[in-house]
Amino acid sequence: MACGSTSLWAGETTWFCCGSSWGPCGSAGTGACGTCQSSAHQAAWPNTSQACFDITRPDLCGESIARRACGSVMNVKHQCSGATVCVTVSDCGPRTQSFCGEATCCNGACRTNRVIDLTPAAFSAIGNLSSGKLPVYIYE
Amino acid sequence: MTDRHDPARRGFDRRRFLTTAALGGATIVGASALGGLDADAAFAAPIPSLDPAIAKSAFAEGRITAIKGSVLEVAGSYGDRHLIQLTNATSIWKLRTTTADAIRTGDGLYARGVDMPDGTIAADAVWVNIVNLFCTVRGIAKDRLHLTHGSADHEVVGRIVPETTTASYLGGALTPDLSRVRIGQSAQVLGAWRPEDDTVDIARVTVGH
Repeated sequence: MACGSTSLWAGETTWFCCGSSWGPCGSAGTGACGTCQSSAHQAAWPNTSQACFDITRPDLCGESIARRACGSVMNVKHQCSGATVCVTVSDCGPRTQSFCGEATCCNGACRTNRVIDLTPAAFSAIGNLSSGKLPVYIYE
Repeated sequence: MTDRHDPARRGFDRRRFLTTAALGGATIVGASALGGLDADAAFAAPIPSLDPAIAKSAFAEGRITAIKGSVLEVAGSYGDRHLIQLTNATSIWKLRTTTADAIRTGDGLYARGVDMPDGTIAADAVWVNIVNLFCTVRGIAKDRLHLTHGSADHEVVGRIVPETTTASYLGGALTPDLSRVRIGQSAQVLGAWRPEDDTVDIARVTVGH
């Protein structure tokens, strides 16, 4: 399945670690889909299943995010630089409801609410890990 | 359209600079004009340092097994091995923007760069020991936060580093004031893991609901 260009969503992305790794990430596991690796271009989506949605609850932040199952692919594009990475959904997350209203901005334009989490490989392809979060557009 | 506004051109220039720096055996410096800013500066940067072409970049992850001159030997977490070439275009982050002198054998890292013909990766950015953990605050002391993270609630101690650790409350502006952190809150902790005692030096804690 190839990454597409149909607009799906927009918001904040953060990054997370998974799979075999070092430090605190060594206990992260392979995620809800059982395939997550920090060094792969992968993502966590807050509505991979009903059980996932019940944890992340993006609806509590006003985000009616569509269900996309493990293995779905998406293009994630930095709002300002245009840098894009194609990712495969490999985990459930982020915990959107815990940070309702949080905004990330660039060039004076902001994106609100955490709607996707990227692995370090994917996040670093469109931004710097030390920033922690980025404003993005998501396509499929 | 100027070169500065042409992503393809910027990408080419970045790669040429990295390649030239690596092949020339350039001296190592820390921060660069090309990226790898510290957390606060990167967050506030009006224009991200990265260009679209970097999506084709190389990536490496693992722990440093040896440091030979400006080359880091890295054992990947899946048995793979990497040679990371630091150049004068490499930015280095270890809790803050720093220099190669701060890197130690045993450190973990994520590196982004360009594949070189000799099999090394000429690094554009190296993030040493960086972690970004979704946590729950379990305890608060003067110099540390007791946290749990992950589905199994693994315990981790987050060390508050004077003049470095900042907090953001519900996405608000960064502040050195951690007095509003409460037990039971969700928190995103960006910091640097310390291999010597398995704690984390906190760069930024973002407190949620």
